[in-house]
Amino acid sequence: MNTQPHDHIVKSYDAEIARLTGEIARMGELSAAQLDAAMDALGKRDSRAAQRVIDNDEALDAQEHQISNDVLRLLALRQPIARDLREILAALRIASDIERIGDYAANVAKRSTVLNMSAPVPLAGSLGALAQLASGLVLEVLQAYRERDAELAHSVWERDAELDTLYTSLFRELLTYMVEDPHSITACTHLLFIAKNIERIGDHATNIAENIWFVERGEPLSDPRKKGVGVFDLD
Amino acid sequence: MNDISPMRRLAPAAGQTTLAVADPAQPGVAELAAVKIVVRELDFFYQDNQALKKISLDVPERHVTAIIGPSGCGKSTLLRVLNRIYAVYPKLIASGEVLLDGEDILDPHYPINRLRSKVGMVFQKPVPFPMSIRDNIAYGIRHHEELDRGEMDTRVEQALRDAALWDEVKDKLKNNALGLSGGQQQRLCIARAIALKPDVLLLDEPTSALDPIATGRIEQLIEELKRDYTIVIVTHNMQQAARVSDFTAFMYLGELIEFGDTEKIFTKPDKQQTEDYITGRFG
Repeated sequence: MNTQPHDHIVKSYDAEIARLTGEIARMGELSAAQLDAAMDALGKRDSRAAQRVIDNDEALDAQEHQISNDVLRLLALRQPIARDLREILAALRIASDIERIGDYAANVAKRSTVLNMSAPVPLAGSLGALAQLASGLVLEVLQAYRERDAELAHSVWERDAELDTLYTSLFRELLTYMVEDPHSITACTHLLFIAKNIERIGDHATNIAENIWFVERGEPLSDPRKKGVGVFDLD
Repeated sequence: MNDISPMRRLAPAAGQTTLAVADPAQPGVAELAAVKIVVRELDFFYQDNQALKKISLDVPERHVTAIIGPSGCGKSTLLRVLNRIYAVYPKLIASGEVLLDGEDILDPHYPINRLRSKVGMVFQKPVPFPMSIRDNIAYGIRHHEELDRGEMDTRVEQALRDAALWDEVKDKLKNNALGLSGGQQQRLCIARAIALKPDVLLLDEPTSALDPIATGRIEQLIEELKRDYTIVIVTHNMQQAARVSDFTAFMYLGELIEFGDTEKIFTKPDKQQTEDYITGRFG
């Protein structure tokens, strides 16, 4: 993938940058697949599938480690400047965001195995929708990364507000369950943490969007942020 | 085509002789720096070959301005116009204005001796005179001033100290300068240039023949000298331009493509041509 209008005089430099951005794209796809698999395991109460998600997280960690090494080598050996430097700096940051997305997906899987140890609770209706929206944002921001599409990145960045709003309504829904039936408090608390994990995945997607914008435009993405209505920030 | 200095845009009311410059030592703090050299609409011809095309550029006082660009872009020619060294060859013609402290140095009436004492130059290859270290420094001073031996010794010591060479040569001032290492020879040439107490130092690829340690010493020296001198450096080493300069001019095919804060040029230049050049791409 060549993201500049002209090639480097030293062709291996282009090849190294292309390899780096390719690794990021693959890592991102794996993280989105992890979230989908975790949600699937949660829905089906399949602890073995959840365990696979937890085990797969190691692969994401290894990929992030590899990308850090590649960035270190490019900085040391090529001394990149201007857009090349932004590209390489963004790769490091984006890899770290994707690694966190993977961690959250693994957390969802871990909590699902705990939930499987007690009686089934009806899943909060909007949890699936929340996960779908988050997964969609991740996939879209990865597309923006592959195509170096700052506008698409900006649209992902704006749409995180929808995720925040959905999370807030889910929060209320779970509170209502807990008030109605105190026996559901343990399970609902796990679901609440799962929802929070998914909401955080959206935040990392917006971080990635900001980095794409920075690579393309050379300036931070800093419009006044549209936040969802009535967001509870429970970090 | 030429960009007028971005500094001028920062201080439009300040007119031709002062401009706002971000002080690299104090980020965010703007100081007023005088313009030392104003280049306006400068054309230069080697016979029929036009080497510089309508160059306009403000060189700020007591800062380092780097000129970068591929071979043949006219950067060394521009440097040579700034001290009119081209005038020693026939059929070379410069037109336009080069104002040093407000006076046009291209005016044939501008005394060349005055220009030489105000503008010192150091070349790519160190060229010490085949004489003692002391005499290398004293030689130029004698052309401009009459000093007794004590005064001359003081001047020689000061120049060598300013060029960060004194400690290495103080016990062998009578030795032949050709016995010095390449890096020492280059610092000797810088000492020779600053011994005349110029205002402006022109450095034409001053470290391209030196090893990294000697290069580091010269770069450190440039950092120190800019407190007292206006420095213009031509370099092929992009990282060096980024390290030592406050402002950078990018030239291509005789034209000034972009001129601005070094930080901006090396992080987010306005022109694609500049970006292509500094990142090592075909334009």
